[in-house]
Amino acid sequence: MEIILAILIGVLYTAGVYMLLRRSILKFIIGIIFLSNATNLLVFISSGIIAGKPAFVDGTTPSPNNLADPLPQALVLTAIVIGFGIVVFTLALKFKFFETTGTDDLDQLQQTDN
Amino acid sequence: MQTLLLVYLVSAFFPFLFRRKLLKFIPFFLAFVHLGSFSFFLSKVKWIADGNVLSETVAWVPQLGINFDLVLNGLSLAFALLITGTGVLVFLYAHAYMKSYKNLSVFYFYLFLFSAAMLGLVLSGNLIQLFVFWELTSYLSFLLISFFHEKETARNAAFQSLFLTGFGGLVMLGGILLLGSVIGSYSVSDWVNQSGLLKSHQFYLPGVVLIFVGVFTKSAQFPFHFWLPGAMQAPTPVSSYLHSATMVKAGIFMLALLSPVLGGTPLWTYTLSMTGAITMFLGAYFAITQTDIKAILAYTTISSLGVLVLLLGIDTALSVKAAMLFLYVHAFYKAALFMIAGFIDKKTGTRDWRNLGGLARSMPVTFVFALLASLSMAGLPPMLGFLGKELIYEAKVQSPVIAPYVLVLGVAGNALMITVALFFLYKVFLGKPKNQVEIKVKTDWAYIIGPGLLALLSLFFGLFPAVLGETIIEPALISILERDYNVELKLWHGFNTVFFLSLFTVSLGFILFYVVSRNDSVLEKWRAFNQRIFSVRFVDVFNSILKGFLDFSKRKTELVQHGYHRFYILTIFLVASIFLWYQVYVTIGWNLENIFTLRPFYVSRLVLVIILSTIFSVVSKSRMATIISMGVVGYGIALLFMYYSAIDLAITQIIVETLILVMFVLILQRLPLFARLSSRTSRIRDFFIALSFGSAMTVLALKSINVNFNHPISDYMIENSYTNAFGQNVVNVILVDFRALDTLGEVTVLVVAALGVYVLLKTRKT
Amino acid sequence: MNAIALPIFIPFLLILILVVVRHTRAAQFVSVLGSTLLFAVSLVLFVSLKGGKIHTLNMGSWEAPFGISLVLDYFSGLMLVTASLIVLCLSVYTIYFMDGEHRNNKFYVFFFSLTMGVNGAFLTGDAFNLYVWFEVILISSFVLITLGNTKEQLEGGIKYMALNLIGSLFFLAGLGLLYGKTGTLNMAHLAHILRTSEQPVLINTSAALFFLAFGIKAALFPLFFWLPASYHTSNISVTSIFAGLLTKVGVYVLIRFFTLFFVQDQIFWLNLFLVIAGLTMVVGGMAASSHYDTRRILSYHIISQIGYMIMGLGIYTPLAIAGAIFFTIHNMVAKTNIFLVSGLINRAKGSFYLKDIGGLFKQSPILAILFILPAFALAGVPPLSGFFAKFILIKSGIDAGQYIIVAVAIATAMLTLYSMIKIWNEAFLKKAPDSIETESSFKKPVFAELLPSIILGATSLLMGLFAATIFGYTMVAAEQLLVPTNYIESVLNGLKP
Repeated sequence: MEIILAILIGVLYTAGVYMLLRRSILKFIIGIIFLSNATNLLVFISSGIIAGKPAFVDGTTPSPNNLADPLPQALVLTAIVIGFGIVVFTLALKFKFFETTGTDDLDQLQQTDN
Repeated sequence: MQTLLLVYLVSAFFPFLFRRKLLKFIPFFLAFVHLGSFSFFLSKVKWIADGNVLSETVAWVPQLGINFDLVLNGLSLAFALLITGTGVLVFLYAHAYMKSYKNLSVFYFYLFLFSAAMLGLVLSGNLIQLFVFWELTSYLSFLLISFFHEKETARNAAFQSLFLTGFGGLVMLGGILLLGSVIGSYSVSDWVNQSGLLKSHQFYLPGVVLIFVGVFTKSAQFPFHFWLPGAMQAPTPVSSYLHSATMVKAGIFMLALLSPVLGGTPLWTYTLSMTGAITMFLGAYFAITQTDIKAILAYTTISSLGVLVLLLGIDTALSVKAAMLFLYVHAFYKAALFMIAGFIDKKTGTRDWRNLGGLARSMPVTFVFALLASLSMAGLPPMLGFLGKELIYEAKVQSPVIAPYVLVLGVAGNALMITVALFFLYKVFLGKPKNQVEIKVKTDWAYIIGPGLLALLSLFFGLFPAVLGETIIEPALISILERDYNVELKLWHGFNTVFFLSLFTVSLGFILFYVVSRNDSVLEKWRAFNQRIFSVRFVDVFNSILKGFLDFSKRKTELVQHGYHRFYILTIFLVASIFLWYQVYVTIGWNLENIFTLRPFYVSRLVLVIILSTIFSVVSKSRMATIISMGVVGYGIALLFMYYSAIDLAITQIIVETLILVMFVLILQRLPLFARLSSRTSRIRDFFIALSFGSAMTVLALKSINVNFNHPISDYMIENSYTNAFGQNVVNVILVDFRALDTLGEVTVLVVAALGVYVLLKTRKT
Repeated sequence: MNAIALPIFIPFLLILILVVVRHTRAAQFVSVLGSTLLFAVSLVLFVSLKGGKIHTLNMGSWEAPFGISLVLDYFSGLMLVTASLIVLCLSVYTIYFMDGEHRNNKFYVFFFSLTMGVNGAFLTGDAFNLYVWFEVILISSFVLITLGNTKEQLEGGIKYMALNLIGSLFFLAGLGLLYGKTGTLNMAHLAHILRTSEQPVLINTSAALFFLAFGIKAALFPLFFWLPASYHTSNISVTSIFAGLLTKVGVYVLIRFFTLFFVQDQIFWLNLFLVIAGLTMVVGGMAASSHYDTRRILSYHIISQIGYMIMGLGIYTPLAIAGAIFFTIHNMVAKTNIFLVSGLINRAKGSFYLKDIGGLFKQSPILAILFILPAFALAGVPPLSGFFAKFILIKSGIDAGQYIIVAVAIATAMLTLYSMIKIWNEAFLKKAPDSIETESSFKKPVFAELLPSIILGATSLLMGLFAATIFGYTMVAAEQLLVPTNYIESVLNGLKP
């Protein structure tokens, strides 16, 4: 199964990078979202995945080998939330930028170089 | 000696204590400090001549071998006397010369700090310490040349001199470090002791060449000589002090210091004597066609520096003796002539000899001194200059192998010097008075006392050379040669080869003088001729190289930082793909089992849906469709999380995805429609770059799953979650307990983002 | 030692306070007070390291490697002290250099969240926690850069955000792979595992992702594009903060990671560092020499100087690492300072563009001195801090036989000199181009505005004069980095999991 997920990751990365390379800022943000999703998935599967065995424990002695690794889940959760904060700010920025300049075209962004 | 340097450093700040009327006392005070240290050094002459050496050490960065080793031996004493002695006269002269300018405190601060740095340089017993002072003199020279900083020429000249000497200094540092790495020390005495090892080491050649670059830039040797005439933009006291008597001699000092360590090899001899000879000739040759008297003096200085380098290159006892003598000869007459030139400038308002003439009548005393100094420069008896020239000829005649070549250039150079000296005297002081304005200048004495004393010293030592020889030249020679050497100086050497050579030179010089002074047009033609054959001036070469480099930088910068955002991203992903694929290639031998396990079909179908939505969202032309399919991707991933035992993750993903979707939809109507902005080619190119990166990540993901160095630390977390952290949901326990600090950071990010959005949208200003 | 968490919690506390403080004066007062406290704490913490100690703190009392550990060694201590000195100076400087717009916008909240992120990054001993701090830095700097809301700032902000976000994603992906392979996130534990494993070279792909991530953050060639596109757009105080802290965190992590646990396949990595270092120096230096806007010159110059730090890492001898650390802290001080001074110049003359200004030497000698100190320090003029920084690096290069990079470093020093002299000549020596502009249009700076520059300038000078002491510290730091047994044992507490 990992191979299918790995391919999914590849597809998401490809789509994300492709979207990043478009000139529209909106597409750019979508690209970033794809890339975050891909990266989250990558972290998630990196130490192997187990279906249907969430890491819930009670007093009875748990055996770690039968449970899904909870640490990547926690990491991804943190990453999702952080990514959310950043995407929200980016969206606001994009909105503001469009409001200020009236353009969505990244190639118009040449004031600050040269 | 530390105390002495400390006194210098403190005194340098003295000018800032004085305001307005008291300003005029500054030079006297500083001259007094110089006088004090001059007498200190003078008092040591006998002691040093007896073979003693005074040395002190102050640790600075001992771990790196950087210390303040102060060494007073014959060599440093000879230079120290020169620095402090001319220092006294220059500050007295500056009192008169600088009176009418502003910012005097700053000027004296720079100039005195320079004296301190120069003194530190010649007292250095550690080469890194020497480099530190060397750089300081370069920077202070820069500040002094650009003292009249509102003139563009002054700024440019200052920049040129700093750029060249700074460059040379850094290269020299490289050489010092290279050779230092051979013996693991930067102390001069260690170098002297290990001279044999250094000379036979493979680093000898690069090390010496690098040090030569430093020496040649500092001492204005061909082809780096051109900064020196430019430096004449500095106020005249600076020219006479830094750019004739002291700073430009730093390179000479370095050569003298290192000649017992590195000298005596063919590399040393040939490089130095060739460079010196060429510089000597070219300096004199260019001097004659100058019209600015300060420029004439600058070029003759270059010529004299060439002579010094040549002599130290020949590296026999005789030539070193000649060098040390000539050092003094030159300092005496050149500083004097510079001061006289400055005085003339003040008096008449011009430095162009074509506008000058007959000044002997209005400035008789000055004329006498100028006469003495010029005779010394021409090397005519009974001046010290004559003695110097005789010794130089003697050394050249005896120089190994390249004697004929050096001699020809030497005779030609000297003949030209004679011509220049006579010409200067004749045009400026004799001849018909031109209609130059003569400004009444008060306190003439302050202008004349310096050059007068120096000119008289030239005469005195010419008549009684033994005084100089025994007290100063001999100890210096002993330091350089590292053995006893008896110096006897006489004015009259008898009828020998050298005498006839001298005679020939003098006649040549006089003939040439006769030719050029008869008719001004000769010089005009000569100048025109020079401009034609030397149509490429070194200053221009320097400037055009610099300009070419800057243009190149500008073009290249525009190429790199072009402003097209997409291409920045493109570059980054291109670099990333190449890099990752290379690493995949390097670490290819991983274990491939367990990859192709089949799992329930519906999960694959879910993955397929996600993949299709992804592709759809990329190719769709409708904004809404793109966003909705993006949402499908997000929810799909949430389902995957759910399936693979990550309940909390799935919930979070769903919430976040929903929020983002809502926001997208909210701002969507305020944004323009998608336009297909990029061309087909660029889309194909982008696709392949994206694909190569994406596939690299697939491979990495697969690899990572199959490489396991260690049991994950989460096992511990699962084991301890309930017993020690009292939580059943391990993921939550990790978030709030095991890794609570992460959550603190996460909360901070959210707070900052929220506040940021608030601030961003609140302000309406555009 | 619990106190080592203070550099993270003091800024956090300040954020909490500043969010609710509405009055500008009060906010300024709190921030100066807070940053003074922070500086004092950092100094005390650094002093407590005396004798080569390493302090660790396991957050939530979970023993390493299971919880998050904070680690304070000489390297992080030096960085912490330097960073908090800069924060202190800036909190004073911003009182005078924030326009009304910025002041009302909770500038200080973002300022201290940035500080918190930077301190967290220096202190943490956990790779994922480091990611979190990087994100804190990222979002804070992102807000700061766009705070003025001008078109240029929004545009610069978008570019800054885009490329840095990609960097963060590389970082996160690398972390995922690293955890997948090693099953741990604790840096000391990683070092332990990778140093005892038989095939550490398999980690190379993760190392590659980290290198890309920090290469972007540290603005290495060819990943630096975000820096020149954005730095010059924001308020000068913001640019100064960035110049002093941001890229240096990237450098810090590169040095930390590639000395602590990415020590496999070193020939490849070190050669790569040397090549990248050379290119970064030259490209940055050339770009700086071709510009006429002070802020752009200085921005490109940041990149050029990053090359020197990476050069030290590439040479990889104790002396070279010490040189890289010396250079980094010198650069943080001098670079921040020269941006502060360029702000003062702009305040005095109303422009950053060199062709529009001039005559400052006459008008304000004090400004000239304040400029000369950091400018000469950056150019490597003895006896200022930059001389020793470059000297150590060049010496280490020669001792290690890396002559090419030494030659490049020397050539780049000339480019730096050129850039600094250009600013000096144009802004200070040249007559002001507009003859109408007289002394009246010149605004004389007040002492308090100058104070931060005076402090930082004096620091540059003292770092040179007492180079032996500073070099001693950096040498201890370098030895701790290159022989991390002590680090690993201190963190893992002798435990061998």
